[in-house]
Amino acid sequence: MGSDFIQLLLNGLSLGAVYALFALGYTLVFSVLGVINFAHGAVFTLGAYFTYLLIGGAVGANGLLAGFQLPIALPFWLALPLAGLGAATVALLIERLAFRPLRERNADPLLALITSLGAGVVLVNLIQLLVGAESYAIPSGSLGGLPVAIQLFGAQVRTVQLLLLLVATVLLAALSLWIDGTRSGKALRAVSEDPTTAQLLGINSHRMVQIAFGLSGFLAGLAGGLVGLSVSLAGPYFGIGYGLKGLGVLVLGGLGSVPGAVLGGLLIGLAEACVPAAWSGYREVVAYGVLFVVLLVRPQGLLGKPLATKV
Amino acid sequence: MGAAFHDASLLQQMLIGALLGLSVYLPLSCGQLSLATPGFYAIGGTTAALLSTRVPALGGGDPTYPLSSVMLEMAVAALVSGLLALGIGKLVLRLRGIYLAIATIALVEILRVTTLNQEALGGAVGIFGIPQPFNNPGGYAAFTLVVLALICWLFARLEDNRTGRAMAAIRDDELAAACQGIDTAQTKLLAFVFSALVAAITGVISAHFFNSWNARLGNFDASITTRAFVVFGGSRTWLGPVVGGLLLTALPELLRPVGDLRLIVFGLVILVGPLLAPQGLVTPERLQGLGRSLQGLRRAPGGGEPTEALDPGPR
Repeated sequence: MGSDFIQLLLNGLSLGAVYALFALGYTLVFSVLGVINFAHGAVFTLGAYFTYLLIGGAVGANGLLAGFQLPIALPFWLALPLAGLGAATVALLIERLAFRPLRERNADPLLALITSLGAGVVLVNLIQLLVGAESYAIPSGSLGGLPVAIQLFGAQVRTVQLLLLLVATVLLAALSLWIDGTRSGKALRAVSEDPTTAQLLGINSHRMVQIAFGLSGFLAGLAGGLVGLSVSLAGPYFGIGYGLKGLGVLVLGGLGSVPGAVLGGLLIGLAEACVPAAWSGYREVVAYGVLFVVLLVRPQGLLGKPLATKV
Repeated sequence: MGAAFHDASLLQQMLIGALLGLSVYLPLSCGQLSLATPGFYAIGGTTAALLSTRVPALGGGDPTYPLSSVMLEMAVAALVSGLLALGIGKLVLRLRGIYLAIATIALVEILRVTTLNQEALGGAVGIFGIPQPFNNPGGYAAFTLVVLALICWLFARLEDNRTGRAMAAIRDDELAAACQGIDTAQTKLLAFVFSALVAAITGVISAHFFNSWNARLGNFDASITTRAFVVFGGSRTWLGPVVGGLLLTALPELLRPVGDLRLIVFGLVILVGPLLAPQGLVTPERLQGLGRSLQGLRRAPGGGEPTEALDPGPR
């Protein structure tokens, strides 16, 4: 107990916060379109690279942009939201190229699984082509005057983890307030109920879809930058693992449920943090095992609405 | 020799792609979005790698590995994955659409991580020095072609009999199919198990062909790539996934001249393909159109209407 427990709890919670941000991005898109955006992991990765470049990081020796460095070096607190905006722009582009053409043609929505994957493959390989496959690290000194670690209840806690938790909490609260309390949030819920009816009621469904994509890209970009600071940017493919885990979190919490995504993220984060070091190789199994069991016992997820069946 | 060697090797990879496409196609042909194929493919590969390197009685020390041993491996791999598919299928086939897809992704990942962590199954390093039944890629391609032809024949038979029609009925409307007295649970399970068998057999061939095997060969990427085979080729007749598997496996190789750009181009093809041909390249209507124009050509040589074959057909 004591300091070890707090350490474990914080590890789990900050990991879970990342998963929750990821799952929320999926949820936003899923709630309006009913499909999963498989390019979401690539957007997360881009967010991390954008952050790295904006704080003045230099590109390594491989890739077309070898040695490139932005003439400015922004502080982390400014670079992170800008990277989020960059990621949001890319997410909007993905919507335009991989999702909207399918809707315009009235094609099977499940085709978006393939087109979005194609967009993801293009993005990941574009990153590799431009900046190479090596891993980058955002220096922990980027937080300016903040100390790297602080003492909390006798435990040594990394400031990054607290920051991650703080940013995630603020974002989740803001998102819930927006969805539940504002006119445009209500419009989003209307579109997720039935896009056609929403359109008939004067809601611009296309605009709501764009908002959902933009927000999901913004969240993924922030999560990417924060993970880049807390761990590292382990090459162009590093978002894919998080992306898969986010998918598990999404189903665990309930597809389309915002509180569900948060609960699922925290649960899986905590469960993974509790896996003893000797079994660390099996850490990945925890998320998928939990997911598998939940799907069988309660397919709608912990907080999801029961699945409607056609009769 | 170099070019011929390379061509046969590419052909072999294309044939493996076609087989995997067929494995994904089967559950899809009764409306089940299962992405479990790479999991069963990995079971086949691991089984072959383990048996051929750890059981001396199979003839791993011989200059050429006996084909009968490969057949035996296929039987064992089919048994293992078939039983697993039976058990898992009973559980997961109650799920629908995206839920089934995610459950099967979870299954593939659980299998992958378990293999990665079990030294006995090859662990993170993998299993090397898998004995060779053929001393050149041409031999492999010929053997795989026979297997593919056999499985295609089975699929073609299936599409024409009661079970195949029941699958199509379930894809179009599961509730209506059930009302017609079709045992939907049984039919879906059959498709799932048979899909696992095809994947496992393909895994056995791959393990020998690649000469080594590791857990990374059956991962999430493979789930989606193989699904792309079917979307790209067409999911309404067995010829679709065969064409899709052949083409999409060949594509990254054919794009080698563009170097670093090849995966970007590959991604663009997957992105644009479904937009241009939502039904895939091969559809029953197009096949009929092609058949008609071929007949026309035969009746009046040179006077047929080849444009009919290019007609996209009703959407």
